[in-house]
Amino acid sequence: MQPFALNYARPAVELEATTPYVYDSGLQLNVLLDGRVAAGDHALLRELGTTTSTAGSKTHFDD
Amino acid sequence: MTVLILTCEEDVTADMVVVHLNASGVPVVRLDPADLTGDAALSGEFVHGSFRGHLSSGGRLVSIGGIRSVWVRRPGEAAARAAEPSAWLTEESGQALYGMLRDCGARWMNEPDAAHRARYKPWQLRLAQRCGLPVPATLITTFPRAAREFAARYPDLVVKPVSGAHPQDPPLAVPTSRVPPEADFSAVAHGPTLLQRRVAKRADIRLTAVGAELLAARKTTLACPDPEEVDVRFTASPEPWRPAEVPPRVAESVRAYLRAAHLAYGAFDFAEDGDGTWWFLECNQSGQFGFVEVDTGQPIARTIAEWLARPAFGEPVDAGGPGTAAVG
Repeated sequence: MQPFALNYARPAVELEATTPYVYDSGLQLNVLLDGRVAAGDHALLRELGTTTSTAGSKTHFDD
Repeated sequence: MTVLILTCEEDVTADMVVVHLNASGVPVVRLDPADLTGDAALSGEFVHGSFRGHLSSGGRLVSIGGIRSVWVRRPGEAAARAAEPSAWLTEESGQALYGMLRDCGARWMNEPDAAHRARYKPWQLRLAQRCGLPVPATLITTFPRAAREFAARYPDLVVKPVSGAHPQDPPLAVPTSRVPPEADFSAVAHGPTLLQRRVAKRADIRLTAVGAELLAARKTTLACPDPEEVDVRFTASPEPWRPAEVPPRVAESVRAYLRAAHLAYGAFDFAEDGDGTWWFLECNQSGQFGFVEVDTGQPIARTIAEWLARPAFGEPVDAGGPGTAAVG
């Protein structure tokens, strides 16, 4: 009774890697351990893929 | 006047916009509805024919009447992190928050009703057609026979979720996948199935629309070791996104789409074929944009910040001043 589309499903890749930044509620921004704003480090964002369109988000399906 | 951003703490893409708003001196309050009844709070009173309301988050207090724009980015489910969460509390909190914000006079990116409607892919396909965007032949059906007949007419097909959602129990991803001509379509009867003629693409196009501004990026399709892999989200490609010119007719159609959908923001996905035609695949009303900006250097975050920073309806253009205050 499996829907047709699920014949093409694959296990979701969990992207639970720890991020090297934490949210600073005072700044309302995520900051790196050295105090820099994470959003300014594009090389890091590219590496982490945290700004990327991904399939299989648990919370948001329109990305 | 304050920009209210509804999103979760870990949303580093929202940070890219907050940085620009901070640089412009525009007050920002970032609130995750999941924090309601904990770190976030609300209050509104309807007395003597008028309404006064306030929100607080992270030690900041904002008058609802002092909000110039609301950016709905990646909000958590209301009250999800409450001390004693429940479906009832989520409903209560969502009704209170969004109900008070609905008619506050602020500009929305995107307005909730429009955002809700814009998520329906069948509706997207029809609107795209009406706006003059080429849409690949598509069938959504629970009739196996209809699927077989469609496959006979269009033997090179892909299948994708109708909703874009993915099963969570267990967690699965359902990428856009090629369907072999000899496929057994009997399982179509067990769930609505979206079949679409595969576009033999030479590039993926991501067009990010912010108000009237259109910023397009193009990623050339490289020869893939696995020809069955057609979903750009699942293919690791060394090819970066590069800025692309938007053909005037596409620009006209995209703007017509946004107007008809009442969207201030949309991330459009197209497949570019060998003739250079951009085939509409979908419009994500809250699509990611950081990955495009990181590759192309296009000022998407700044453009969003500028849109959010514009005056609210009826607000004097030079209005600044209060609206946000620290909570003691």
